[in-house]
Amino acid sequence: MELLHGLLPHIVNGFALGVLFALIALGFTLIVGVMEVINLAHGSLFALGAYIALVVISPDPDILGAFADSYFSLPLVVRYALALLVAPLLVAAVGFGLEICLRRTYGKKKEYGLLLTFGAALVIEETIRLFWGPAEQSLQIPAQISGAFIAGDMIYSNYRVFAALFGICAIAVVWLFLDRTPYGSIIKAGAHDSEMVQALGINLPRLRLLVFGFGAGLAALAGIILTPIWGLRPHVGVDAVIPAFLIIVLGGIGSFWGAVAGGILVGLAVGITGAYATDWSILSMYLLLILVLTFRARGLFGKKTVLEQ
Amino acid sequence: MLTAKGKASLVPRQMLVFFVILFSFPFWSQSVGLYDYIGIEIAIWIIYGLGYNLLLGYTGLPSFGHGAFLGIGAYGYGLAHLNLGSGVWTGLIIAIAAASAAAALAACLLSHRRGIYFALLTIAIGQIFWFVSIKWHSLTGGEDGLLNILRPELNLGVTSISLKSNVALYYLVAILLAVVVLLLWRFLHSPFGSVIQTIRMNETRARFLGYRVWLIKWTVFTLSGAFAGLAGGLFCMTQESAYPDIMSLHASGLIVMMVLVGGGFVSFWGPVIGVVVFFMARDLLGSITETWLLWYGLLFMAVMVFEPEGVAGMWDRLTRRFFGQFPPAPDTKRSTQEELST
Repeated sequence: MELLHGLLPHIVNGFALGVLFALIALGFTLIVGVMEVINLAHGSLFALGAYIALVVISPDPDILGAFADSYFSLPLVVRYALALLVAPLLVAAVGFGLEICLRRTYGKKKEYGLLLTFGAALVIEETIRLFWGPAEQSLQIPAQISGAFIAGDMIYSNYRVFAALFGICAIAVVWLFLDRTPYGSIIKAGAHDSEMVQALGINLPRLRLLVFGFGAGLAALAGIILTPIWGLRPHVGVDAVIPAFLIIVLGGIGSFWGAVAGGILVGLAVGITGAYATDWSILSMYLLLILVLTFRARGLFGKKTVLEQ
Repeated sequence: MLTAKGKASLVPRQMLVFFVILFSFPFWSQSVGLYDYIGIEIAIWIIYGLGYNLLLGYTGLPSFGHGAFLGIGAYGYGLAHLNLGSGVWTGLIIAIAAASAAAALAACLLSHRRGIYFALLTIAIGQIFWFVSIKWHSLTGGEDGLLNILRPELNLGVTSISLKSNVALYYLVAILLAVVVLLLWRFLHSPFGSVIQTIRMNETRARFLGYRVWLIKWTVFTLSGAFAGLAGGLFCMTQESAYPDIMSLHASGLIVMMVLVGGGFVSFWGPVIGVVVFFMARDLLGSITETWLLWYGLLFMAVMVFEPEGVAGMWDRLTRRFFGQFPPAPDTKRSTQEELST
């Protein structure tokens, strides 16, 4: 009981972190499921989303010109909310562009698509460096969700609670979309057997375009939510996308609940080891992955798919 | 496409051309505006790239964590030098042994995996090694790495040569590269070399033929790790240091890019071309703009979209068009095979 009491805050922290990991992995797993492409640019899109949000929240006054004063008089909350809306849309547009490049690799070796996204990751990261410089920046967050509160003998940051709640809501919305709307059914069917979906008369290229854009938008959203916690650097994307890789392999590629469960498991592992050996907390997620894959080759909820060919 | 012809010459014409260029490099490098140091770098990365292509181009296993083995080779050499005061040969043997041991261990987890699962697991494994190299301060020196690894004397029995001059070091690396090329060429044209290509073309069928596919994949992975270890040891010798950067996902991805830009899927020489293109791009674009990686990345994307078989693939097509030879387009044949298998 004493031990549990000591661990509880770490479990709570780990759970909150896990929800955020799941949020990053969500867009990734959607794209892998429907497109059969590992999007190595996911992390860069994540970072790009955060940088675009940076511009939306505090733009260069010169660009706005005459509108600068009226724009800056808007409360921070409104600008933040605007960023949450605009940045994912812009990044989704980038995602559309990437998908159009990817089209030429369909039907060829799987590696080509994967490598194209690796090149895209490099290009996006270097573009970020070009426009925003290599220095670490910070994303402003509104006063309403900053600060901290005390519960028991622990101090919790308000923003982390907000981020976790936002993550849970986002996961719920995506699940409702996939499970309760006709579009969701088409996407799920596409993940199951894309050829059959095409045979049923559904416009597969458009479906892929939309799914890729949607996944990219989710990456951007995760970026905006997470970078106030992790800091905003051009290569933050790599740090973000590695857990996402692990999570979807852990949970089973293409499985929605696999991604969520994998995310929470990884979060818990990192949180709990962090309590004992801070330096090595990240290592625990790799060990967890290897442990799970040794016993369940396709992850927790994975099924045999064409992805193994 | 990469296929071993029944009987291949032990030293084909391209290889002779390659050797001539390789060994004459210090004589003409200055006159084309290059310098000896870049020759050393290119030769080391060609060793790394050729070893890597064993895995990617020949066996069809995309590893995204191969930098780990380059890094372990570098650390192995560096630690042996700092702690044991070992010379060139002992140091390199320790580098190769350390990298192959790590690769063998990793291959135990990887050899039963295919496709996306293989790729993702290599990322995870590469990251583990990278992470350990950063965090294990007492052994690896953390993010700074190992420093002050002075270039040793090369002991040849009768005499010893100082490797402090870049030309001397270049010739050591060039000779090792020539040995690697000969070994790999022979290896790929052996029966075992044909089997690994069968695995790339159709793993299931290779298994039905009675080959123990996982064991072969394990062997190739370990072997490829050994070449990376050799390259890593030489890298450490050249740079006089070993640091975790070369093990990052970014660096591991670069070798994949080099091999593919050159055409590792279609030609034995793909990695050679790719490495040269990369370093030339780094120097030429780098002298014009600081964001040369952006342009290289765009070039790479264009290659993947329009010419995914790289420079070697383009060369094949052009020579076929101009010299009127029409060997059956291997790619179409292969894709029908793949369709049959799925």
